[in-house]
Amino acid sequence: MKKIWIGVGLACAMTLAGCGGSNAPESAKKEAAAPAAPAGGGTGVPDEANGATITGKVAFDGTKPVMKTIDMSAVPACMRAHTTPQKSEEVVVNDNNTLKNVFVWVKAGLPDQNWQVPTTAVQLDQSGCMYKPHVIGVMAGQNIEVKNDDPTNHNIHPQPTVNQDWNESQAPGSEPKMKSFPRQEVMVPVKCNIHPWMRAYIGVVSHPFFAVTGDDGTFTLKGLPPGTYTVEIVHERYGKQEQQVTVGAKESKTLDFTVKG
Amino acid sequence: MSDQDQDKDPVVHSSLSKPLYFWSALLVLSMVWGLYDEMYGIRPWKSYEARFQKLYARYLANAKVDEVTFEKQIRSAPEYRRLDGATQAAEKAAMPAASAIDKQVNQDLVPKILALNDPFQEVRSHIGSLTYEIEVSKSESRKDSLRKQIVELKNEVHKVRLPDGERPMKFAEMDQQLKDWKNEKATLLQKRVEVMKQADDLRKQRDKYLSDRIPNASADTITAVENSLANFDIRIRQIHIKDVDLVDRCESCHLGTREPVVLTPAAMGGEGVFASHPNKEMLKIHDPEKFGCTPCHGGNGVALSSVEKAHGYNKYWLWPLHHKENIDAGCQQCHAREIVTEMAGGLNDGREIFRLRGCMACHRYEGFDRDADESTSVNQQIRQLDQQKAEWLRDAGFKEQKANNPRTSDADAKKLFSEVNDLKVRSSGIDAKIEQLDMRSASLVREMKKVGPSLKEVRMKLRKEWLPVWLKDPHAWREGTKMPTFRLDDDEIKAIAAFIWQSGVQGAPLPQQKPGDPEKGKEAFETRGCMACHSMGEGAQKQGGTFAANLSREGEKANYDYLVRWVHNPRQRTLPYCAFEKKDLTAEDYQKHGQPFVFDLEHTKCPNDGHELQVQQMTPMPSLRLTEDEARDVASYLMTRKRGNATYQNADYLDDPALKNKGLDKVRFYGCAGCHEIAGLEEEQRIGTELTKEGSKPIERLDFALLGHKAEEEGWETHKGFFEHKLANPAVYDQGKEKAKQDRLKMPNFNLSKPEIDAVTTFLEGSVDASVPARYFYAPPDQRQDIIDGWWVVRKYNCMGCHRVHVAQTTIFDTLPRYQDPDWKDQKPPTLIGEGARVNPEWLMRFLNNPALSETDTNRDGVRQYLRVRMPTFSFSDGEIRKLVRFFEALSSQAQPFIAEKLEPLTDQERTMARQLFTSEGAPCLKCHMTGDPKHDVRATAPNFTVAKERLKPGWTKRWMLDPALMSPGTAMPSGLFRREADRWVFAGPTPASFNGYPKDHAELLVRYMFQFTPDELNRLRAGAGK
Repeated sequence: MKKIWIGVGLACAMTLAGCGGSNAPESAKKEAAAPAAPAGGGTGVPDEANGATITGKVAFDGTKPVMKTIDMSAVPACMRAHTTPQKSEEVVVNDNNTLKNVFVWVKAGLPDQNWQVPTTAVQLDQSGCMYKPHVIGVMAGQNIEVKNDDPTNHNIHPQPTVNQDWNESQAPGSEPKMKSFPRQEVMVPVKCNIHPWMRAYIGVVSHPFFAVTGDDGTFTLKGLPPGTYTVEIVHERYGKQEQQVTVGAKESKTLDFTVKG
Repeated sequence: MSDQDQDKDPVVHSSLSKPLYFWSALLVLSMVWGLYDEMYGIRPWKSYEARFQKLYARYLANAKVDEVTFEKQIRSAPEYRRLDGATQAAEKAAMPAASAIDKQVNQDLVPKILALNDPFQEVRSHIGSLTYEIEVSKSESRKDSLRKQIVELKNEVHKVRLPDGERPMKFAEMDQQLKDWKNEKATLLQKRVEVMKQADDLRKQRDKYLSDRIPNASADTITAVENSLANFDIRIRQIHIKDVDLVDRCESCHLGTREPVVLTPAAMGGEGVFASHPNKEMLKIHDPEKFGCTPCHGGNGVALSSVEKAHGYNKYWLWPLHHKENIDAGCQQCHAREIVTEMAGGLNDGREIFRLRGCMACHRYEGFDRDADESTSVNQQIRQLDQQKAEWLRDAGFKEQKANNPRTSDADAKKLFSEVNDLKVRSSGIDAKIEQLDMRSASLVREMKKVGPSLKEVRMKLRKEWLPVWLKDPHAWREGTKMPTFRLDDDEIKAIAAFIWQSGVQGAPLPQQKPGDPEKGKEAFETRGCMACHSMGEGAQKQGGTFAANLSREGEKANYDYLVRWVHNPRQRTLPYCAFEKKDLTAEDYQKHGQPFVFDLEHTKCPNDGHELQVQQMTPMPSLRLTEDEARDVASYLMTRKRGNATYQNADYLDDPALKNKGLDKVRFYGCAGCHEIAGLEEEQRIGTELTKEGSKPIERLDFALLGHKAEEEGWETHKGFFEHKLANPAVYDQGKEKAKQDRLKMPNFNLSKPEIDAVTTFLEGSVDASVPARYFYAPPDQRQDIIDGWWVVRKYNCMGCHRVHVAQTTIFDTLPRYQDPDWKDQKPPTLIGEGARVNPEWLMRFLNNPALSETDTNRDGVRQYLRVRMPTFSFSDGEIRKLVRFFEALSSQAQPFIAEKLEPLTDQERTMARQLFTSEGAPCLKCHMTGDPKHDVRATAPNFTVAKERLKPGWTKRWMLDPALMSPGTAMPSGLFRREADRWVFAGPTPASFNGYPKDHAELLVRYMFQFTPDELNRLRAGAGK
């Protein structure tokens, strides 16, 4: 019986070799190429010379809410760091009636590609028992340098939903911690269990087109490739808003948002 | 033959070559076909094997390329290169010494030992044979002569040829020399190990570095698999388990099942048949070599001729392969005594629905009536023991009589008296046993619960008009309710409602409650823990648990005064029930005996006959230890839960006595008393068929009625098909039948969703007469039995609504929007994974019995007073507490009974150090942990240290401090408080000066300090910290 098989097998093998051989290496190359890309650091960088720029501001419409005064009396070390009582940074309305600490990012519309992760770390300080700044943006995989400037122990406890939760103690005077989040997540709340009033938010984005509004309530997204984008703003109390915008090469567009208080 | 001749010859002229050619061609074709069929047609597995080999080889070649590049990357990492370099350097350094040893051993010692061994063994065996002769010889003179021979032999000088020349040696010399050389060899080899130790350690480190970074099969493994694939032969692959007579040939086609390289369908060109078993862990526990495939999966393991036959989907095969959605069905036959089986989620869901939705109230299922069955067994045991005791005492009496008889001899009398005493002592042992059983029997009265609410209380609890509306279609009124929809006509509804209303008991009038604050009540409802079992909101707005009722329309049906009582203590009963008299007792029964009308868990005896009373509502709902004000707030909130437009028609006919008897018949007919307590129907029997072995009931005994042909045509004339159709529409097999109302199928519609139907089908499909011998059944003889028993209690009271009890489980709190907020996340009830290792079991017993841990201050949680949610009082029986404690202990593999670990006492210096650390700015302990200062404690997120000593185990406490996230990911307690320094843990922050030069483990110091922590110590610390 075996002999028959060898005969039949020979004939089959020839035909099979013809079709089986050609496909395999090709698919192998594809599979090998895909996972290698992010590990290598990505390719794309924002082209600030030829790309488009979106600027805008987040206006605040309504009466300025009165923020709670933070009671640090339980921890004298925190009290001593301030001469005046600190207010919660949940809502900060600038003097020009714009909203501070709004995270702005391109939610959709970018080409399907990898972007280079900056090698510089983003700072998140614990100073006077407050997180500084209150809202930061990073790229997925980019380092966040967490420092403790206070004479007291802190713990940093981000509570992401699609990244891993971690909670680490940082003693006064100890080395800064280098941390990163591998997956896109807007926003990751950060708290300190020891000083429950401390709160920060981190927007983790898989590309470099994001910003946080500052003291003038403006933001700038530079170096975007031409295209149509959904730009979203996220605020811890007032939630999310989005707008569509189409930009061409080297074009600058203004995109203003208004948040109702 | 010439052409001319041919023309003339009729034989030649009428040629047969065409038919001959035709038939021979046919013969050849049929032979080819025959061969093909023999080799391929009836052996489809052969082509599977050929395809597998091809696809697998292709996949391996691809995988290897990636893997080699991947491993090359790892090998080029600086750490690997360092280890590799160090390994080689160490090897090189050790080599001269090692090869010197090798040379000495191999070239000198080994030849010498070999040369000496033969002559030595020869003499020794000679001596041995002479010694044996001495032992068997009978004559002393012969023995003496043999002894002499031995002495001569020992003194004889042998010329031993050694590598370095001949040497004369006596036996003793040879013996000694051989021992010396062997010792020398052993010493040298030991030395070699020491010389090479550094290099070996480094090599292990290097290899570990590599293997730690390879998630899949390594390139070496792939090469090995490729090599074995080169010798792949096409043959039947079978598992044969002799003692069970099981032959499974599944792997003749499912070739990737146990491959060392994990194969996905995508990797095998989309052919799922070649994929690896998806659960390696499962295969480890149930090794196919021991269990085969079909006992779990079903199918016909022997069949190879077609996929349909091998999978057992052909007609009359009793155990078809379980479909994907019922894959866990195979677990049930061996795990029949469990309510929770690990890794069998679908089956667990099915069992839970069967229990919780009340299927078991009409259908007996062996093992599900644990309380009732145990109760019967306990009572039977008590009777037997009573009998045994009486027998022994009677025997003792006879013996005593005989012993007292003067004609009995002293010796006999003494013997008899001792026998009498033995019997008496043994019967006293029976007393102890009966005492335990009596206690168990009383416990069991408390443990028995009903699926639905008691209908004895309807008159106090409900609005009369609501009853008929509810009966008509419970699901229309409250979507997803446990109560199923019966096929009732309006007359039946009227009669049943009237009977229920009129059979309700009448207690003393309820005290009139003042209104509460619905706003506060809402907050309490949402944060105290009610929603772990109850849901609120309808449709997409629905939030909360499914264990108990949705309360969105509670205000339409309930009586406020009753609701307040219920929220305050759901177990409070209007009248106690005496199962012996079969009667609800009233105040008069107590009066007759001059007793106050008091019945609760301290007063459980019937005044009439002393039997154990049912003094509680038979609900698993616990008391949340709310204050009366809080209960009024919650009840007031619930009373606001109603639809604005709901109207109810007058239902005064409920008081019509003429309807009562008709209603009683209907209530009996539909088996209402299976789920509800109904006055007068406490002893009703089940009305449904037993389902313990329903999955292996012969198919012809499942009544498809008029749908038989349709089922056959559509391919669902199987157990699975029968169950699915019945569960989706319990009346389905009445379709087209001409039946009188009382003959119609009674089963009501449970409005199960598709996943729920799948789960129950899984459970029923698995409920079979086992195909394997009983020794395969899961009946562990050790602590694992405690786990099986514990799960029943855990499920019964829905512990998992609040707590994570095992990994990969979410709680209701994880789903509530409020608890997604970072601040509220810390308000979730604690996880119980590892609870047995964490807490002292004696403490746990106390806590389960009284979670306030206080007799007087009950409006609190005993441990975590900062939590808004609160561990309720379940009024567990002793038996349930025992089971729960053992369950947690067993899950954490704790030895029983518990013996506390002895801790080294603190020196005065250590106490001072620990105090300083506790209050230093670097150590945040008292920031989060409760201190007893009410101002601080409202913001605390961790328990008070004063309970640690009673509550915790020291070993766990240390492990927790070192890395809490490992045990409880997401916990508020931070990691990284300690760092490793040499072989001890030291505090990671700045330590007080007193720690300078302290050589011991800091974490251990804090544990020892914590375990002698007292309230006084805490006050002292607080004072010291200036707070």
